[in-house]
Amino acid sequence: MKKTIQIPLGSQHISLLEPIRFKFECENEKIIGVDADVGFVHRGVELACTRSFEFKQVGYVVARVCGLCAITHSLSYTLAVEKLLGYVANDRIKYLRMLMVELDRIHSHMLCLAHTAENAGFEALFMQIMGDRELIMDVQEAISGNRVQFDYISIGGVNRDLTPELVALTHKNLGLLSEKIDALIGLFDNNWSLSLKYKGVGVLSLEEAYTYNALGPLARAAGLATDVRAETSDFPYEALGYTMILESTGDIHARNFVRLREIVNSIAMCRNIIENLPIGEIQEKAKGKPNGEAVVRVEAPRGELFYLVRGSGQNMLDRVRIKTPTFSAIPAMMEVFKGAEYADAPAILASFDPCMSCTAK
Amino acid sequence: MKFFTPFRKKSPWVLHYNAGSCNGCDIEILAALGPKFDLERFGVINTGNPKQSDIFLVTGPVTYRSRERLVELYSQIPEPKVVVAVGSCTATGGVFRGMYNVEDGIDRYIPVDVYVPGCASSPQLIIDALVKGLEVLEAKSKEIEKPYKLFGAIETIANKLSRLNMATKVGQNEKD
Repeated sequence: MKKTIQIPLGSQHISLLEPIRFKFECENEKIIGVDADVGFVHRGVELACTRSFEFKQVGYVVARVCGLCAITHSLSYTLAVEKLLGYVANDRIKYLRMLMVELDRIHSHMLCLAHTAENAGFEALFMQIMGDRELIMDVQEAISGNRVQFDYISIGGVNRDLTPELVALTHKNLGLLSEKIDALIGLFDNNWSLSLKYKGVGVLSLEEAYTYNALGPLARAAGLATDVRAETSDFPYEALGYTMILESTGDIHARNFVRLREIVNSIAMCRNIIENLPIGEIQEKAKGKPNGEAVVRVEAPRGELFYLVRGSGQNMLDRVRIKTPTFSAIPAMMEVFKGAEYADAPAILASFDPCMSCTAK
Repeated sequence: MKFFTPFRKKSPWVLHYNAGSCNGCDIEILAALGPKFDLERFGVINTGNPKQSDIFLVTGPVTYRSRERLVELYSQIPEPKVVVAVGSCTATGGVFRGMYNVEDGIDRYIPVDVYVPGCASSPQLIIDALVKGLEVLEAKSKEIEKPYKLFGAIETIANKLSRLNMATKVGQNEKD
């Protein structure tokens, strides 16, 4: 007689923002095997970038790979093309780009925290975090003109400047947010029902994180020191107060804490950026056509984002290769599910912050 | 049926399906359900079950693999139902139009009642669309509750007596 039962989750499910299908092989309540199907939202962006769009337009097309980390996608592509054009952005452009990337990281992490709370059955906390998140969305809308999918970065600069009123608004909202994040840290640390759902659940050990190529907050929660912001020198992160956040336990609680403390770190970096903003042009001419091959790595909210761009001096590119953090971390995610209770599966899944639009492209 | 009509109008439940979108509109739907925009004051609850929902919120330019699931979900929602297409790419394919795995908009597969523009649609637009969808839902409920005529005219279609047009709705054929 067969001793295991198969339970599907997805492709459409209340706890999922996006279509992904899991097949859990369960022995009583325990998950012993898992199979994932991630390709429901595959659209074919990579091919279209080389067939239908010119290289100046592709930056806005790759932003539509993912709505949450759109700015990181357009930034990576723009950096790659600027490398090929031999253009180096001035300090003001670099600072403005960093500001938007860090704001994006804050709102993405807050969405993940809210979603994890909801999937652990704490709907009031979901509402509270979503309400606090609007502070950042307001800043993004004021600076760029749109709440998500702000096409802020273009080749040779950024599309809008930071005025003194915007600086004041950013300061005010970041101040309000940092108080709320402090309260949230206390809540996530001390709340008894949250600790039942989070502590010791969905553990990824340091060896597993290393073997299965975990990235981003998933790896840093297990104690694996990997962060592209510390490894590359495209942006002056060290000068603006970047610190790597590491936890050791590797469970959902640790992942939440990595995100919360990264939000605190990002708020401090945003403040440093707008206080020390250099003077300069926000848009410069980047002439020529991309010729050659460039590789760029940027830290997206979920981990390392990798872009390869190859051109041959034409308007159309030869190849755009996108490797996204969720795609790289799938083996590690599968490993975490094994041995967990089936009832914890939605909360564990939400704590990975998976992005299927990124994965399937 | 009359007893249920006011309740259905006041509390439409929403089924949300991502048919290949970039997540932009999905997080805006979440934000619209959140406390700042507070879609729940209209009684809107996001439910994962098609059999309990009235309004179908679709985002994304229907990818090849999600099209079967889209039609399946649509057919499982009980009548009356309203389909709201959120985002530019749901209406026409948007930036994804012509990509090899994309079906260029959902109205190839299911009838759409309200289109929401924008990439990504703002929560204000989504709230407007759902309020508009409530009107459509009310009109559709009234249409469903109209009684059928029991005895209509027996017509001759292709030289055969046909009872096809016997059971029409009241007020549907004004000629007789």
